[in-house]
Amino acid sequence: MNNGGRTSLVLGALAVIFTGIFAAFLADLPGRPAPRPLIPLVDKSFLSTATVRISYSDLVKAKEDLSDFDCYGCHQKSKPPVLTFDENQKLIVPKAHRDIVMGHGSHGRNNNCFNCHNENNLLVLQPRDGRDLKFSESTLLCGSCHGPTFRDWEAGVHGRTSGYWNRDLGAIDRKDCVNCHDPHSPKFPSRAPAPGPHSLHESTAAPAAH
Amino acid sequence: MSQTTPTAPDGDVTRRSFLRTSAVLATGLAAVAASLKPLFEMDDLPSAEQFMQKYYREMTPADMAVVLKRISNEVEKQYGIRPHVKDYKPMDGVEFVYALNLTRCIGCRKCVHACVGENNQSRNPEIQYIRVLKMPHGTFDLDKGDHNYAPESVPEKGFFYMPVQCQQCHNPPCVKVCPVHATWQETDGITVIDYDWCIGCRYCEAACPYWARRFNFAKPSIPKDRLNPEMSYLGNRPRKKGVMEKCHFCIQRTRAGRYPACVEVCPVGARKFGNILDPNSEVSKILSTKRVFMQLKEDVGTNPRFFYYFDV
Ligand code: HEC
Ligand code: HEC
Ligand code: HEC
Ligand code: HEC
Repeated sequence: MNNGGRTSLVLGALAVIFTGIFAAFLADLPGRPAPRPLIPLVDKSFLSTATVRISYSDLVKAKEDLSDFDCYGCHQKSKPPVLTFDENQKLIVPKAHRDIVMGHGSHGRNNNCFNCHNENNLLVLQPRDGRDLKFSESTLLCGSCHGPTFRDWEAGVHGRTSGYWNRDLGAIDRKDCVNCHDPHSPKFPSRAPAPGPHSLHESTAAPAAH
Repeated sequence: MSQTTPTAPDGDVTRRSFLRTSAVLATGLAAVAASLKPLFEMDDLPSAEQFMQKYYREMTPADMAVVLKRISNEVEKQYGIRPHVKDYKPMDGVEFVYALNLTRCIGCRKCVHACVGENNQSRNPEIQYIRVLKMPHGTFDLDKGDHNYAPESVPEKGFFYMPVQCQQCHNPPCVKVCPVHATWQETDGITVIDYDWCIGCRYCEAACPYWARRFNFAKPSIPKDRLNPEMSYLGNRPRKKGVMEKCHFCIQRTRAGRYPACVEVCPVGARKFGNILDPNSEVSKILSTKRVFMQLKEDVGTNPRFFYYFDV
């Protein structure tokens, strides 16, 4: 074979290879990195700024059902309810109030209904100093026994204040104690955490045990 | 004629070899062009306008108006929503401080996601400014923290939870290392980033002792229906691939007088924010009355504006 022949052979082969590469790229044969598995959007419930509990005041504002607070729909004004206790002096919550779980303080130290409610007028709350408070003023009731926490709350240190840090520019909304604490069993409830982080280089494996 | 054809190789070979060579070249070029295909699919290159933009601190209000209009147009084009983009300035007599009550935090991570939503962070891949560490009681060794916890419910016995985000240092190492001054500290204490100026070198990410800065390795993606249209230039306007971002105390909220999104969503009230120059602010009260508080990695000299405290 002469020189020219060899050159044509090499060039021909090159042309074929290049065409092959061209076609391969066009057809995306080398492939792209596999698309990452899509991270699901977080459930909207985790974005809600609502407090864990709906208070009497919230119910009034939202014009919701207030029948739980209509004490004299069932009770009689002339007959204050009588507290019942078991043999260990533990307060028994009657069936009619079974949605109330009593457990205020360690060993239920503050379970006595009339530490807070007024037995002669169930429609109001009554702290130890004897004044009557509306259900919408329950925070003052809590404050009558939890002085230091209440002062922290007034300063915006305990609990949550929403709205404007700059009071000249807008109003604040300081959440009531009962927005976070059930007055009957005030320990803050545990809850399911929102999903954790997904790393950039995540494999197709699901994020740690769900 | 008979003389030229076989015996005068010059002319003939030149033409033939020229054709052969060009054919090979053409296929070669086509192959190269085909291999560059992904480049032509890039759609987030900076516009000429953005490319010619002035440095933030040299912009006049008129310059800024032009820039904000460009950004609005870009957002509208991409998301079909006309945003309200503003350039919020620091207020006089205001220095922001954050205080986080570690006795309260239950590790529910609502702050993480409220932040993502408020600040238009990418959902795919995921960018989050707040990282919540689950820590065993009795230590502050961040290396002992676990951020992938996923129990049925929180809090778990024997642990406390420590959310970490940008600490808005008085002495920010991230600012010092930026070769192009795309990040700086403002008078209200917020360290900001100009996403149009950032070159994506990630020096700041390496310099930050709190692992607070995030890099957009890929094009950010935000579903249209989750875009927050209330935007700020130095804050939560959408970012592009290749730039840094981090917590900026929700500039678009806090410089308008409101609390940051993480404060508003915290179910336990562990997060406190305000003006430390105002003696009546929550944060002033906390720093003057709470006995136990601390700054993270105090020893590195960054002097954070972010305090962790305990109720005692
Ligand atoms: C659906 C009907 C109903 C409503 C509404 C209701 N109660 Fe009762 N409550 C009962 C019944 C039934 C008992 C048990 C018998 C009794 O003591 O009268 C009871 C018992 C009580 C007791 C005694 C608890 C114990 O340990 O024995 C208190 C205190 C009480 N109620 C307070 C209230 C207050 C305060 C309200 C309003 C905020 C209210 N109730 C509304 C039906 C009701
Ligand atoms: C009559 C006094 C009194 C009133 C009123 C009162 N508490 Fe209490 N509270 C107590 C006592 C006593 C304890 C138990 C302290 C202990 O065990 O160390 C307690 C404990 C608590 C605790 C700690 C969690 C627990 O169960 O141990 C919370 C939270 C709480 N109260 C919230 C409230 C709220 C919210 C209100 C208002 C709706 C309120 N308290 C009203 C007396 C009161
Ligand atoms: C620590 C104070 C406290 C004690 C003790 C207490 N309550 Fe209450 N109770 C409240 C407050 C405050 C509210 C209003 C809560 C709100 O705004 O959501 C309330 C609401 C209620 C209601 C109406 C809403 C509901 O949950 O059904 C009933 C009924 C009631 N209490 C019954 C009782 C009974 C029965 C007892 C005793 C077993 C009791 N309470 C003990 C503070 C107390
Ligand atoms: C934003 C929600 C929120 C509000 C509002 C709130 N608390 Fe709490 N409080 C908590 C959490 C969370 C804890 C810690 C968990 C627990 O022990 O239940 C707590 C703990 C407490 C404790 C236990 C002692 C302590 O400091 O750990 C008392 C007492 C208490 N709160 C009283 C109050 C009173 C009184 C008010 C209203 C003046 C109030 N809280 C308002 C969330 C709240």
